[in-house]
This record gives sequence, structure tokens and C-alpha cells, in this order.
Amino acid sequence: MQIYLPIAELPVSVLTILAMGAAVGFLSGMFGIGGGFLMTPLLIFLGIPPAVAVGTQATQIVASSVTGALAHFARKSIDFKMGGVLLAGGILGSLSGIYLFKLLAAIGQIDLTISVVYVVFLSVIGAMMMVESVQAIRAARGGSVTRRRGGHHSWIHGLPFKMRFRRSKLYISVIPPILVGYFVGTLAAIMGVGGGFILIPAMIYILRMPTNVVIGTSFFQIVFVAALTGVMHSLENQAVDIVLGFLLVVGGVIGAQYGVRAAEKMPAEQLRALLAAILLLIGMRLGYDLISTPADPYSVVEVEAEQ
Amino acid sequence: MRVVRTALIMLAVLAAATATRADQLVTDLSEHQIAIRSNFTGTQILLFGAVEARTPGSRALNRDIVVVVQGPTRPMTVRRKEPIAGIWINHDSVTYPTVPGYYAIASTRPLEVTANPDTLKALRIGIENINPGMPTARAIDGTLQILPPDEENAFWKALIRNQRRNGLYTSLPGGVTFLGQTLFRATIDIPANVPVGLYTAKVYLLQEGEIVDTISSPLYIDKRGAERFLFRMAHSDPLLYGLIAVLIAALAGWLASAVMNRQ
Repeated sequence: MQIYLPIAELPVSVLTILAMGAAVGFLSGMFGIGGGFLMTPLLIFLGIPPAVAVGTQATQIVASSVTGALAHFARKSIDFKMGGVLLAGGILGSLSGIYLFKLLAAIGQIDLTISVVYVVFLSVIGAMMMVESVQAIRAARGGSVTRRRGGHHSWIHGLPFKMRFRRSKLYISVIPPILVGYFVGTLAAIMGVGGGFILIPAMIYILRMPTNVVIGTSFFQIVFVAALTGVMHSLENQAVDIVLGFLLVVGGVIGAQYGVRAAEKMPAEQLRALLAAILLLIGMRLGYDLISTPADPYSVVEVEAEQ
Repeated sequence: MRVVRTALIMLAVLAAATATRADQLVTDLSEHQIAIRSNFTGTQILLFGAVEARTPGSRALNRDIVVVVQGPTRPMTVRRKEPIAGIWINHDSVTYPTVPGYYAIASTRPLEVTANPDTLKALRIGIENINPGMPTARAIDGTLQILPPDEENAFWKALIRNQRRNGLYTSLPGGVTFLGQTLFRATIDIPANVPVGLYTAKVYLLQEGEIVDTISSPLYIDKRGAERFLFRMAHSDPLLYGLIAVLIAALAGWLASAVMNRQ
């Protein structure tokens, strides 16, 4: 069954979109991630214009992160104060990301920017996760557990504007969380992702938050940044396709249920190695497209009528 | 004598009149409006017509019909990628101000044998003869530049290639078929990715390579129903549209967690 998308202005197969939503939902339920970094490239491969893919993806991220945030709210594993500080940075980041997106689209470099940013982040984070999970698997087999995380002071503790975050048991400057939030917000607006896959490592390794509040706080922050990004993409680029978004959300919700159940049956470290492999594969695929000779070096875009 | 003279004059007048009154076209489209609804996956329109012969002697010898369906024009930019440090990057670009979003041409015989190239060019018949307006070429940093004509032409050829690939520019020699001496028909494919707007369907009647008659009829392609409502809203009220989209998504997320909790 085909359905014509009113904003993307092309017909797509309903089953394909539902299946894509379900597959990405499955992985996101399995790994506790938003899945935006998987869905946006898939939508672009399908022929959806990049701006519509990114804008629509924002609404799908709102749906999945609301589900995640509610679950963590029930478990009281959200640091609202830290979330609020991250959000302050995230809002500024999202706004500048939207502006940057518009600027890059006008000079014809948005596709390239999206690809390069994806390649860099997917390979770096994929490689880091792979190394770490392989080490953990080896350590578990060898019986000796090596933990590098210590409570030693770093340069972060020298910064001013300190604030106490009770839930995270931290007394740190607000500058690093605002910067982290800003950075992730910018990426969210350009890449069409929630940014959890960057936010979570940043919270653990840079802010040194306890792992039990990291995922809930990240979901909390992503809900609002993604909502703002969605509204801004609609306002600035008219690039949110409600029909496409709805189909993705429906598929995603169903897939996530099964993903969560599948994850319970798999060991955490192997799961992490698998996610790392997926990230690396997508990064390599996008990277290959950047360096291989294109079938047609010419591309055509419609120019928005200047007002 | 007088009777014969008046009869002769009348005959001469009649002959002169029939010489100027050439063959005429009568045409129509199967549809003058195409509605894009949620189940739209492209369609076909049927163009049919007849040649009303005014000169009995000429008949169907060397008679040609050319049908051109053209969509609304809009500015389009063609960009060319070049490898810089191993990565293919959009480099030079050329913008054409009035590119038809759709152009379909069908004819009884290949255009080359229908009329001479100058006639076709003057009337802008044929994909190669589309006039996209004055091109402006820009370098990677956005500054205006002047490209040599053959290089500029490569961009225009790329645009045509791209539009052909998307099924938006089509040429069908032999796409117009005569049914008997005077009736003719042509089917034109309208793909799913067709731009909306006012189209014109032009029919040319050619005799020995010369245009004898032309007729033009309008064709509207527009979104309807929910498609129209959503598209209009996204453009006229983008803030409200965005808020609704986000709100629906948040509700869906909440609903999912409510269902999960119950299980």
C-alpha cells in the first residue's frame, strides 16, 4: 500500500516505513537509544529530502524519549536539576543548529555536512565502544575486572559557577554541562538525532555522573530539545511531515516493545559490542559514499522563491 | 455571359478562401484537473482530438501532430561535485530561473523528421529547446562567475538527465497515434513526484514541416483533501503545525508507556 507524503511530496510504501520504524524501534528498545542516527540515514537512502528526514525525525525522537523519560521518572532515576542545566545549553544549541542547517542548505553543503558529521561521530563512538566492550568481555573471561574510573580531580573542578546536584552527588561548575548540552543540541538539529549516544558518554566520562541517573536524565533533556527542534524545523524550513512521522512512531513503538524483551535475554557486554558494530558499519557505508566516485556528479535542487 | 463571369469570380473567391482556411484542430483532455490525494501514485491523461480538413486535396499526407504538456516553471540549481582531498564536494553551481517542473512531448513521428530544427527551436518544441532563462553560475564560495558556454551546457544537460531519470521530462516519438484519417490520441504519463500547479497541454498540427494550427488547453494538478490541508497548514501556520506534530508524538510516547505499564 502506497501513501503520498504531503510535505516530502512523494509516495512511499506504508509497509516499508512501518518496518523501518519497527526495526529501528527494536534496536532502540534493545540498546536504550533513540535510534535517530539509524533512522535519518535510512530515510535519506529512501529518497526523502534531507531537511524533511531531519525535521520529521525530531518528532519521532520526541515520542521515543517521552516513553523513556516516563519509565525513568517512575524509577526516580532522573536528575532534574542537571537535566535543566543541560537543557539550557541544549536549547541554545538547537537554535544555532537550525540556523546553521539553513545556512548550509542555502550554499548547497548540507548533505555533505550531515554525512561528514555522521561518519566522524559514528566511527569515533563505535570504535570507542567496541574497544571498551571487547576489553570488558576479555576481563570477564580472565576474571580480573579493571576499573579506570576514579574520583580524582580534573580541570573541570577548577571552573567557576559551581552548583550542587544532589541526585547526581556532584558539586561542579555549570559550564561543562551547559557546553555539553549546547554541543548535543546543535548536533540534534543538524543530524536529526536525539544525541543520547553522545550525551550519555559525555555525562559519564566528562561530568562523571553516576550511571544510574545518566539514561533517565538524558531522556529528560532529549524530550525538550527534540520538541524544540521539531517546532523550529517546521517554522524555519516547513520540513516536518506529520504523515511520515506518525508512521515512524507507530512502527517504532511496536518494535521497541520486542527490543526491550530481546535485550533481557542477552548479556550486556555482547549487546554493546553489537551496537558498536552497527555504528561502525553505518559510518563506513556513509564514508564510502563520500569518497567513491558518484554515479552522477551533478545534482539538481529546486530553489525556494526568494521573498 | 454575365452569369458565367459572376460564377467565375465566385469560384476564384472561393478558391482563395479555401487556400487561407487551412486544416484545423479540435482537441480535449480526459481530465482538466488532477487531484493529489493520499493514495496518489501517478496517473495518465489521455489527449484526443481530430483534424478538421478544410482542403480536401491535402488529406493526411505529411501531416504531423505534436503534443507538449508543460508544468509550472521555477528556479532550479544544478550543482557539480568535485573531489577535494578525496571527498566529493558540491563545487560549481548554475541556477536557471524558469525551469519547467514537468515537460512531456509526444509526436506522430520523431521530431527530426517532423520539422526542421529552426522551427522547433523557435517554438520551443522538444526537451532540448526548453528555455530555462538566463543562467547564473556561482563558485563554491557563492561568488558569481562566468562559465564557458560548453561547460555551462554540461550543467543544463545534467538537469535534463536528472529530470528524465525522475520521469519528469519525457519524449515519446510515435506517442501520438492516428485512428483513421482525422482522429488522433496520445497518453501522457504523470508520475507521482509531479510538481503541483497550472499545466498547459499544447497541440501542434504540422503540414509538410510547417505549423498549420495550434491549440492549448489548461490542466490543474493540485493537492486535495488531507494532503492539501496539511501542506497548506505547514506553510501558512508553521508554528502551530510544528506544535501539533510534536504534541501528537509526545502523546504517542505517553500512550506507549501507559500500554507497557499495563502489561
